[in-house]
Amino acid sequence: MRSTRTKTDVASRGGQWAVRCLLLLLLGCEAKVSPPLGVRRGDATAARGGTLRTAFFTDVRSLDAATAFDTASAAIESLIYDRLVTYDAHGVIVPQLAESVDPSADGKRYTFTLRRGVLLHDGAELTADDVKRSIERSLHVKTPCPVPSYYERIVGYAAYHDGKTASLEGVRISGSHALTIDLTEPDATFLHVMALPIVAPLCKSAGKVYDRTFSSKPCGAGPFKVDRYENGQIIRLVRHDGYWQKGKPYLDAIEWSLGMQSFTQRFKFERGDLDYMREFSEADSTLFRKSPAWQGHGEWEPSLTTAGSFMNTEMPPFDNRHLRRAVSFAINREQVASVRPGHVQAQAKLVPEIIIPSEPGYPAQTFDREQALREMALAGYPYDPVRRTGGYPHEIPYLAIIDSYSGQAAEVYKQHLEQIGIRIRIQLVGWPTFLAKSSRRNTVAMGFSGWHADFPDPSTFFEPILSSGAIQDEESQNAAFFSNAELDDILVRARRSANRGERLALYRQAEAIVAREAPWATVYGYRYFELWQPYVHGYRPHPVLTQYIRDAWIDRDGRKLSGRARGARRAPTTTLALALGGLR
Amino acid sequence: MIGYLLRRVGWSLFTIWAVVTLTFVIYNVLPEDPARVIAGPQARPADVARIRTQLGLDQPIGVRYVRYMSGLVSFGPPPADAKDDSAWALGPVRIDLGVSYLKRKPVVELLGRALPPTLLVGVLALFVQIAVGAFGGVLAAMRRHSVLDWGTVALTLVGISAPTFLTGLLLQHLLARQLVWFPLDGYGQTSAERLHSAVLPALTLGLFGAAYYTRLVRDEMIGLLKQDYIRTARAKGQREWVVVYKHALRNALMPLVTVVGLSMGGLVGGAIVTEKIFRWPGIGSLSVDAIVERDGPVIMGVVLLFSTVVVLANLLVDLSYAVLDPRVRRS
Repeated sequence: MRSTRTKTDVASRGGQWAVRCLLLLLLGCEAKVSPPLGVRRGDATAARGGTLRTAFFTDVRSLDAATAFDTASAAIESLIYDRLVTYDAHGVIVPQLAESVDPSADGKRYTFTLRRGVLLHDGAELTADDVKRSIERSLHVKTPCPVPSYYERIVGYAAYHDGKTASLEGVRISGSHALTIDLTEPDATFLHVMALPIVAPLCKSAGKVYDRTFSSKPCGAGPFKVDRYENGQIIRLVRHDGYWQKGKPYLDAIEWSLGMQSFTQRFKFERGDLDYMREFSEADSTLFRKSPAWQGHGEWEPSLTTAGSFMNTEMPPFDNRHLRRAVSFAINREQVASVRPGHVQAQAKLVPEIIIPSEPGYPAQTFDREQALREMALAGYPYDPVRRTGGYPHEIPYLAIIDSYSGQAAEVYKQHLEQIGIRIRIQLVGWPTFLAKSSRRNTVAMGFSGWHADFPDPSTFFEPILSSGAIQDEESQNAAFFSNAELDDILVRARRSANRGERLALYRQAEAIVAREAPWATVYGYRYFELWQPYVHGYRPHPVLTQYIRDAWIDRDGRKLSGRARGARRAPTTTLALALGGLR
Repeated sequence: MIGYLLRRVGWSLFTIWAVVTLTFVIYNVLPEDPARVIAGPQARPADVARIRTQLGLDQPIGVRYVRYMSGLVSFGPPPADAKDDSAWALGPVRIDLGVSYLKRKPVVELLGRALPPTLLVGVLALFVQIAVGAFGGVLAAMRRHSVLDWGTVALTLVGISAPTFLTGLLLQHLLARQLVWFPLDGYGQTSAERLHSAVLPALTLGLFGAAYYTRLVRDEMIGLLKQDYIRTARAKGQREWVVVYKHALRNALMPLVTVVGLSMGGLVGGAIVTEKIFRWPGIGSLSVDAIVERDGPVIMGVVLLFSTVVVLANLLVDLSYAVLDPRVRRS
């Protein structure tokens, strides 16, 4: 008898629990977001104090200016290391640690005069010697710098980088706060590469040669210094009280949680445990953007990327120019962008809008299926879309990256290309495999192509990826293996010109060649949506620098309000928990 | 017994060597270039080539293998430039797993930092597995053909079938997001915070194993409860819990101990996913990052550590038979 009662009880309790758990899960999975915590106080004024908390999906590998060159590191480096020059709010190069920058008339010499009284994190005053030492440290033969060749036009670079000379000849100290840098030829991109963290002035503790322990205690002249850095967990920066811009920065500290999943970031952001967020899942991004309560607290980051599809001009069938042109005409870019609305933007030219805005008549590729069919006929593969006969007779392997938008975009290309008689077979591989295969000569006929600007200059979209000089048998960055003497000549002339108008005209010609010859089908650009809590002020996405939050400030009274709102928000779940307990 | 022990230790060392060698070969014959991954997709070929030379990746695979294996275990004082030393010294013995390509820290240092968090979660998960498994199995066996028994069998089926990433996400959603009983993720700074944060990853890992152990103990107990010596114990008037826990369960634990040893690999495999979900800074997270970024020295270090742990666990299981089973001891 006792046994029977137990069974019934157990069955009953088990069933009730199962139903409760299911309800709880369903309740928690509703497709909407919570409104912001607290309100934005219009009368709040900028004041010092507070810690801004945010997160990264990835880990930050290193904080050594000489070696860290990924997106996550760059955001933090821009707060630790001020450079001689940087970008203003419009993306224009302006002096930062330099008081003035004077290029010579022939464009081969730059004279930098440093600000006086700039204190590094260790309290020492910045001098020209620190600048020279830091540049030489990064370009030293033993330093694992990923991009030293960006500085190859500095006089004496090759000898110094090969370890044949003890110092870099082209960088000369001309006073305690002045130095000159000589170039072998004029280079319009030189100030852009001087704005990279690679050559940021470092404290004397960095030494003259690379030492891997410096990454754990980085020291520069930026508004924040590192307080705590644990790989995969946290980076905490605190204000550098000796910062040269009086009254700045406002924040006491900034904390990044590292390696946080995007869904966890969303949960924490809703809860008020994060103040700023950027790495949303597609679904969450849409929910926040559509939510009326969150309007005014977020903005799109400008896109500095171009993506699409490369076509290997040395391999059949894309050694046939008309077939390449057929592909470029066949892809409906708006449709590709609609797969991930907002984040993906249709882009028919190589250089993103933020660098060279489009204007009527600007050369670009277009979607024109009729023209694509004509190009197919010119290529020798006429296709009848009604009877579905003809076209290119073989299936073309298409290389894309697993777990990335490139795979989804490839599915759309597949549909579009089928309509003009080209069949592709998508091969998804890991990122390292993709890099290895796509950069090897005579290996991949067609695949994903993407490029992110190292700096906001058109040259970064042409020279590394479409010039003849970028072609190699292995490790070729020119995955299309596209060689065009006219384009090469234009790119050299544009790089050497100091005249902005002339440069823009030259890059317009370069863009026309790409549109005409179609080594790439340029299709889209990718951008992020950024969101912050109502009490975070003074932040707007920067046109060049990612997560440039150095001037942000926190309305601490607003955050206190948020704290109370957070308590109120947690109450329902607590009540639910109590209810579950009571039912037990 | 000593001969048996020596044979077992010898086979263990051979297994570890074979695993490490196989991993080295597979990693090095893949058509991928770690230098390119380190430098980034936008680095110029000359810069990639320089990094390849700096890392010694331009050498033939045989040279790299000999260099790696010869540096693995050495004896003597550290080099003159101790600042660049990447070895872990235990007296005169030095173990050098190299330097991470990407984090640019000695692999022994990275493993040393990641091991305590993994051990914490691993031990807690093991406790959950054994406690829930033994208790659930005994309960189901004692109430055979009851709702409790059927429910247990059904639940264990779900537990075994559900991958850890699903269980982890559900637990995180339910217990951390909805009920706010535990942190969503992270490691914490104090011991109390760490223990609190370890609960969800440990539950995720533990419930998966517990389902399996429950079935194992249940089946074992059903067989044992029919044995003559159990009937004799009951006939002598011993209380039911004494009969079950003292006489039956002790014998049912024999296969459980074997499975615990064998399941160390599964526990480690589960930790790789679980730690990533909960941002737990253990070996699992380190492994995922290393594999994604093709960080060869870290991959090799993790494989070496995992294979050592699994081999040692199995060795201990073999030896523990003698402790648990008097017949083995006597033989």
